Amino acid sequence: MTDKHIHDPLAEEGHPVKDFRTGVPATPPTEDVPASAIASRSSRTLWGDAWRRLRKNKLAMAGLIWAIIMILVALSADLWVPQRFGDPKYIDTTTVSQRMLLPPSAAHPFGTDRMGRDIFARVVYGSRISLAVGVIAVAIEVVIGLILGAIAAYYGKLWDSVIMRIADVFLAFPYILFAIALIAVMGKGFMNVFIAIGILGWPSIARVFRGSILSVKENEYVDAARALGASDLRIMTRHIMPNAIAPIIVYATMSIGGAILTEAALSFLGMGVQPPTPSWGLMLSDARAFMFTAPWVMIYPGFAILTTVLAFVLLGDGLRDALDVKMKD
Amino acid sequence: METLLAVENLKTYFFTRDGVVKAVDGVSFSLERGQTLGVVGESGSGKSVTAMSIMRLIKGPQGRVVEGSIHFKGQDVLAMDDEAVRDLRGNRIAMIFQDPMTSLNPVFRVGDQIAESLRVHKGLSKAEAFERAVELLKLVGIPKAEARARDYPHQFSGGMRQRAMIAMALACDPDILIADEPTTALDVTIQAQILELMIELQERTGSAIIMITHDLGVVADMADNVLVMYAGKPVEFGTADEVFYSPLHPYTWGLLDSLPRHDVSEKGELVPIVGQPPSLIDVPPGCAFHPRCPYAREICRTQVPQFRAIEGDHGSACHFSTDPSFRRGTASRTEVTA
Repeated sequence: MTDKHIHDPLAEEGHPVKDFRTGVPATPPTEDVPASAIASRSSRTLWGDAWRRLRKNKLAMAGLIWAIIMILVALSADLWVPQRFGDPKYIDTTTVSQRMLLPPSAAHPFGTDRMGRDIFARVVYGSRISLAVGVIAVAIEVVIGLILGAIAAYYGKLWDSVIMRIADVFLAFPYILFAIALIAVMGKGFMNVFIAIGILGWPSIARVFRGSILSVKENEYVDAARALGASDLRIMTRHIMPNAIAPIIVYATMSIGGAILTEAALSFLGMGVQPPTPSWGLMLSDARAFMFTAPWVMIYPGFAILTTVLAFVLLGDGLRDALDVKMKD
Repeated sequence: METLLAVENLKTYFFTRDGVVKAVDGVSFSLERGQTLGVVGESGSGKSVTAMSIMRLIKGPQGRVVEGSIHFKGQDVLAMDDEAVRDLRGNRIAMIFQDPMTSLNPVFRVGDQIAESLRVHKGLSKAEAFERAVELLKLVGIPKAEARARDYPHQFSGGMRQRAMIAMALACDPDILIADEPTTALDVTIQAQILELMIELQERTGSAIIMITHDLGVVADMADNVLVMYAGKPVEFGTADEVFYSPLHPYTWGLLDSLPRHDVSEKGELVPIVGQPPSLIDVPPGCAFHPRCPYAREICRTQVPQFRAIEGDHGSACHFSTDPSFRRGTASRTEVTA
């Protein structure tokens, strides 16, 4: 589904025409490539080039900007949200009947829920949970996945078989069911959701990384580096890792979206974040009863999930193109 | 002349599940400063494994040098510790790989890759090494070297990449350059350019070259000495003139007959060597070449021929090479069994 966006670097606007023999721009740099960029060519790194390519990808940049906005809002929420829109958790029992299920208005831009709480405030605070899940759970799965994937690829043989068979076992379980089972064992709670998602996510990362290392290891340039007298550590860090890590960056970015979805699903099912802490999944769950009478209760958290997951998937998709050196203009 | 490299009865075997692959089985040669040795043979004749053994690049635990010795400037290469081996590789002996398309790391700029060995071996700073890399690119004839050093390998053409590989190999001024089929992946006009470049650079730097190739035409221009290998064994050794003009071994004759020549037009047809090179796990008894040899006799099927020098260093591993009438064009054919 995310593959539909096919990035054609040659189709970019302002693409400088190149002399086919030398590869240097044959025309004077256009406004797209200021002279200073040409002059500073020497200082550009692989990552600098990737960033330059990413910047040209409008969808990926939209995703990145949206993710940054979400993060800034989540981080600064304490400074302005409760003051302006009310506490996201507190239920004023005396006034609930007047304040519940109010449609969007100037005072409550997203309306209120059945406890009279401001939905905007809850969506904003819910983003903290979602982003925390995205970052922490994915960090857990990436760390476990990279270590086990690297061990499997480097040491091979028995290590490879054992680690990859364990990964297969993990992947064979229905994902959400396994997450629910893990939480049932560990107990409900914020941290356990991270851990459950992290534990469930590592096999995919390990697999991707193992395959990536194995294919990179066979490249002649690794032999060439060895023939140049580079040490094992240098070969690993300079020649294998940079070539093997790109799929992980892409996969991890997209996994953030997946982790957010999983948290929402778990919370929706009552196995994730517990009330009154706001979580998008939990808000959706609460909104089911008012889907038709007060649709805003459902629309805004649903929209928040949709846009955030989409933002990370688009960003991941853009990174895949940007990190591929061969797609360089 | 200073002997840089002395390889004595080298045997490199690979111990696989299907059996022992005798990839290199008793190769000896020596290389002097400024000399070029051509190592010729079909695919799987052990040329590359010989080179890898010299560089200590044979991957264990399957692959092992089981016998023989390699001495570089008197030092025993096989007994070196890891640090000494790393100093040997790239710094003293450098290698040019066959396929320039895959031998450059796609995520590094060409200049950075050339700079790498300078940083590893000479401890140059990043800027110094890069500057030197640009000089090297100029040396190998890359136009606009300053700009091209900042390009990625995929922005280079095949011939330019091979030039870049040569620049990489030359970076530390090695005593020996091992070129493993450096022109095989290139088209013919570029091949000639690359060979010319190597000859020119050798004159300038005085390094010795081991030129591994399956193309006799390549060594004809360059090599001082030629080693012909078949199924892991040396079958003929001599100066380039000796091997080309008075070859001793029927396999060498076969290689020469299958070489297109513009000065011999009487026949117009090339004569291929029949059959396939043998599996190195199951080498034919006796002379490994006998199933494909049009001159094979009974003794060839049963006895392994020893390598014998006939005239000076020129020698071959054929039972009949001592017989002056057994020469290319005059030897009488027997039935070909393959």
